[in-house]
Amino acid sequence: MKQLRDKYAIVGTGKSRLGKVDGVTALGLIEEAVKAALDDAGLKNTDVDGLLIRGPDDIYCLHQLLGARLGVNAAFSSTLDNGGASQIMAVALAAMAIEAGLATTVVCAYGRDTWSRTNRGPNNERRDKREEPNMIPPSQRPVEHGPEFGFFGPVALHGLGARRHMFEYGTTREDFAAIAIAFREHARRNPEATMREPLDLATYMSARMIVDPFGLYDCSLVSDAAGAVVVTSAERARDLKAKPVLIKGFATFNNTKGWFLDDNMVTTAAAECSERAYKFAGVGPADIDCAQIYDCFTYMVLTQLEDYGFCKKGEGGAFVRSGALGLEGVLPTNTSGGQLSEAHVEGMLQIVEGARQLQGIYGPERQVKDAEIALVSGHGGNTICHSTLILGRA
Amino acid sequence: MSNYKKPVPIPSVESKPYWTGLKEGRLLIPKCGECGNFWFPPSLHCPHCNAANFSWEPSSGRGKVFSYVVFHRVYHPAFSEEVPYVVALIELEEGPRLISNLVEIKPDDVQCEMPVSVVFEKIANNMTLPKFRPAPLY
Ligand SMILES: [Zn+2]
Repeated sequence: MKQLRDKYAIVGTGKSRLGKVDGVTALGLIEEAVKAALDDAGLKNTDVDGLLIRGPDDIYCLHQLLGARLGVNAAFSSTLDNGGASQIMAVALAAMAIEAGLATTVVCAYGRDTWSRTNRGPNNERRDKREEPNMIPPSQRPVEHGPEFGFFGPVALHGLGARRHMFEYGTTREDFAAIAIAFREHARRNPEATMREPLDLATYMSARMIVDPFGLYDCSLVSDAAGAVVVTSAERARDLKAKPVLIKGFATFNNTKGWFLDDNMVTTAAAECSERAYKFAGVGPADIDCAQIYDCFTYMVLTQLEDYGFCKKGEGGAFVRSGALGLEGVLPTNTSGGQLSEAHVEGMLQIVEGARQLQGIYGPERQVKDAEIALVSGHGGNTICHSTLILGRA
Repeated sequence: MSNYKKPVPIPSVESKPYWTGLKEGRLLIPKCGECGNFWFPPSLHCPHCNAANFSWEPSSGRGKVFSYVVFHRVYHPAFSEEVPYVVALIELEEGPRLISNLVEIKPDDVQCEMPVSVVFEKIANNMTLPKFRPAPLY
């Protein structure tokens, strides 16, 4: 795959409105983000011939619906289903499709109306309090080996991994707090971020527990939001409006044997995935100037930082407490606030942020100085699917 | 038992013998007839060697807490009186791991690797759940 290194590029990035967006649908949010990404690239809808989309699980053939709204007959299109690993996979598939001659200009987008859909009553009326804590549609929830024991939802699923890591390596909730606090600090410099209140250790510790070992601030946001990027060849990118960002490498790896199998809860699919991605891009962990790590839960950042080789397995706690994740740290991470503090768009906004850091578009308060290489991770699908994207300054 | 409000498992074609075993007070799990591998949850082929030849064998019911979480949030109204309650990932002696509850122990006293043994909790005439309680070292 390394013959694809630096051959394709992200040429436009876009976000929708983020947070609690009144009167909007998942598709509408995706439209907003795609429009912004195309405007950023200086492209028109008629330039697009590829659509790789993801949205709420219960919308059938989402890419067809978006194609209709966008007025695009797509030479290459699909709706992806690899959980939070889907969005980087979309960028990877875009590059591969262009390489294969199937398309020239591919829009990769993800959007959701998760806050709105979980905050509505039976007559679709708006409610202030979330009524439905489970975001998985009822038809797709397990009916044995879990719910009968009161085992519900992703917080508990990931929490089992966190607890095992705490047991094996002495990781603590203070370590998790350092991650939440570092990302909040980034969000405070991002006017688009949903959560911009200061967060300190005392606030973290005194917040209500959701599923121990996770409290409120260990859990990512429930958002109405969308993000999009446009992928085309690096050659074509030179003639476009935005400063292109080169795709140096990517990989996917999925521990499809299961989260509960082997030591998958403490060494995630990121371990195998990162090796493949580093090889593809011809770089190693020491070359990464900024990271955008899939932060569905604080612990998942900690274990991925280890799996990506930024520190040794078991040393993630000390690493995050050292201040490594801050703007001036050794590895500025989730510099927009991430899913814990900006908005949760299953990794799409982290691709956007990785690309924008390399374009160097921000003011000094949030720009990673001299950022040349960014790493983005995607993770999900019941915490077994993983993807890695390594981007480079053009 | 008629006022039992928690979710009652809906057995699949593959898991039916498992639930039938529990009803009879046995924790049956699939064992590969070719390589001897035990696995869970039930499926039609051994995940180790892909053989179709397997039998339902009784587990000793002994195991350990591989990991656990404590629910504070109520996700289902039938658990509103139970919070905080423990959900544990149990590793059976035979190898497979399965989700269950711990009984006869307070959440604060639970630890990873603590030995446990199965107890059978009948929740309806045709449904029994495997739960686990602390066991002496064996
Ligand atoms: Zn076998």
